[in-house]
Amino acid sequence: MTRLRYGYGGRLLRVNLTRRTFEIEEIDPGWMKSVIGGRAANTRRLDEELDPGCDPLGPDNPLIFGVGPLTGSLLPASAYYTVTAKSPLTGILGDSAAGGQFGAEMKMTGFDQIIISGRADAWLYLWITDEGVEFIDCPGYAGLGVASTTSSIRKAHRDYSVQVAGIGAAGENEVLYSAIVSSGNRVNGRTGMGAVMGAKRLKAVAVRGKRSLEVADTLGFLEQTRNLERAILEHCEYDKRYRLGTTMLMQDLNGIGILPTNHFQEGVCDYVDEVSGQTLAERYKVKNKACYNCNLHCSRYYVTNEYEAEGPEFETLCSFTSRLGCRDLAFALEMNAVLNQAGLDSISTAEVIGWIMECQEKGLVKPEDLDGLELRWGDTEAVRSTVDMIIHRRDLGDRLAQGATRLSRDFGEEAQKLVMQVKGLDIICGDPRGIKAYGLTYAIASRGADHLRAEPYFELTDLQDEARERFGTEKAAMRMEEEGKAVLVTYSEKIALLTDCLTMCKNIGLCMDILDLENAASLLTAGTGVDYTAASLEEVLGEAVQRDRRLNRRFGIRRADDTLPERFRKESLPTGPTQGSIVDIERMVEEYYRLHGWEDE
Amino acid sequence: MIRVDLSRCTGCRRCEAACAFFHTGRINPELARLKVVHLYETGIDGPVVCQQCEERFCMVCPENALSLGSNGEVICSPTVCTLCGACEKACPIGAVTQFQGFVYICDLCGGDPKCVKACTEKAILFEEGERPSFENIHKATRGMNPQERRHFYLSRLGQKLREEWAARSPAEESQDLDKT
Repeated sequence: MTRLRYGYGGRLLRVNLTRRTFEIEEIDPGWMKSVIGGRAANTRRLDEELDPGCDPLGPDNPLIFGVGPLTGSLLPASAYYTVTAKSPLTGILGDSAAGGQFGAEMKMTGFDQIIISGRADAWLYLWITDEGVEFIDCPGYAGLGVASTTSSIRKAHRDYSVQVAGIGAAGENEVLYSAIVSSGNRVNGRTGMGAVMGAKRLKAVAVRGKRSLEVADTLGFLEQTRNLERAILEHCEYDKRYRLGTTMLMQDLNGIGILPTNHFQEGVCDYVDEVSGQTLAERYKVKNKACYNCNLHCSRYYVTNEYEAEGPEFETLCSFTSRLGCRDLAFALEMNAVLNQAGLDSISTAEVIGWIMECQEKGLVKPEDLDGLELRWGDTEAVRSTVDMIIHRRDLGDRLAQGATRLSRDFGEEAQKLVMQVKGLDIICGDPRGIKAYGLTYAIASRGADHLRAEPYFELTDLQDEARERFGTEKAAMRMEEEGKAVLVTYSEKIALLTDCLTMCKNIGLCMDILDLENAASLLTAGTGVDYTAASLEEVLGEAVQRDRRLNRRFGIRRADDTLPERFRKESLPTGPTQGSIVDIERMVEEYYRLHGWEDE
Repeated sequence: MIRVDLSRCTGCRRCEAACAFFHTGRINPELARLKVVHLYETGIDGPVVCQQCEERFCMVCPENALSLGSNGEVICSPTVCTLCGACEKACPIGAVTQFQGFVYICDLCGGDPKCVKACTEKAILFEEGERPSFENIHKATRGMNPQERRHFYLSRLGQKLREEWAARSPAEESQDLDKT
């Protein structure tokens, strides 16, 4: 095959902001076959083109937007796009994916990847069509929220099919954990991709494509997508996920005692009923929302007295309720709207605030160390004004904008230990003491503390017979056990990567167990005409996991960085169904290394 | 005719993808005979599709390429059509578009609309109904392109839904406040 014709757009767009020039290249089919697309393609590009020593906020850090071979097709739940660069927050591999409508529209431009380098001399946005790029100055957009930026661009071009991925004030101010946001409220939240965009003086990327997507084997592809649609519709969790989306996890995690409460000091939140997904659905949800071509429709639109927005997902909901001791649901919905429009990652924002709360409670950080800032559990007024300071880097906000890990270096060792992070990335809302495979995932994930690199949801199923068959021990399906978890994670990290390459939603592809190597290979072959088999996919995915490792080694990451904060290794939770448990992370990491055949150093 | 229940639309565009695919074998919103608009600032999403309006504004074709089918749908004869753009220009809601040498307008799939089947939300219905008058919208959308007309039309339809949302949420909150 000389060029990618089916599924893929087959083209690569290179944009240089400094020179205001662009180039269009054909993508070598062999190159793409070895990475499938999406996240793995982005990482390979970064690995090939990045000077690892470069300043992540300098012109040399490439910002890569990527979609997958079947993004924008009839494949359900495959609407994501991934943004990749060296992370300014962690200094290592950074990437973040988001759903909504941007990915499908990007596909229609015929570009599988857009690589943006350089730095503009004045604020501008990119207008990207099938033909290429226009560089459009937008001095009047300074400080605009993402939805307003989107409306302004659509209005200016007299076209409402345009999709926009932009930054808000947080990204403009290069807050190290600022986000890129598209489709109004769809967030590339983690690892500070918004700051990379802000440092390039790039307010937004607008895409509008008119190319058509064709698949190689139309009927075969249609049949397979129908099978997947049926599997989603008939899934036992469909109704619950349809009604609550990921916010169902508030009650679910609380029920097993791992809902981060008061900054992971507790795993049970006694006011969870006031801030749960169920209460949100009853009181504020007005309708369901969905990503492109999804038949689960698990997102939601809500209206409160003062705010309205899409979301929140579980991470944001938990971050601004139990994690900070806040029992006011309307406040969390306000924060979701504010953070999305300003473009700020909710997890890292809540970590810097929660860390201060705990350190002040313990007397490790004094208000006078922080310009008089006092933060106490549940003080929504103080959280609100702190968030505003961070977004604008106003006063103390300038220090807080570095994130909890860097900020903690101004304080003693005891305070530093209380930052809930791995490799500089703040830990998500799920206490690993009650979900050991997730703990291992946080420790080894290539972008720092993160569950999405493996999402070993299987450990929560208690399907012990299946666990014996698939992973050699029933303990792989028992959340409190450490045995069998490395085996589970080495499997699920491949499926997680596969969903990322297909730009598929992890809730569906992985948590609902819809995708495996066999059906993915047939889908890809029918869709792209490129001959994939389960074995060839496994090889590609295995190589991609190794590539992540090699890249992070170039950034200086070592075996000792694959660990968890001391709290999870040494202290147990005081109450609830996970009481008394700690994580033997060394044992799991050791086995994980052994399974990969990696030397300790 | 095709009816849309905006309160149920999630903006997934399954209708649009199915329409393009079953008519052309390809995916491209431009190839669809209905177009989904997302109003991110207000949470309103919905497909804009021919409503078989009372006035039949589009039937101004100078070549007589347009005719009405048995279900009231507008049929464009590609052999007679000269792509002059008169019908696209005339539709007040932007439900007729011209793209790459063809006129796209809902043909009801010959009485078995694929968009209705693709919608798992029952937001698109195929049913008998009163044909609306677009006289006012026609006046209000003069000078707009089809994109702007769809946006205008959907925003106007969405106003009623947003009033329902606004009426719903604060009432519940004030009840709760009374309890505490």
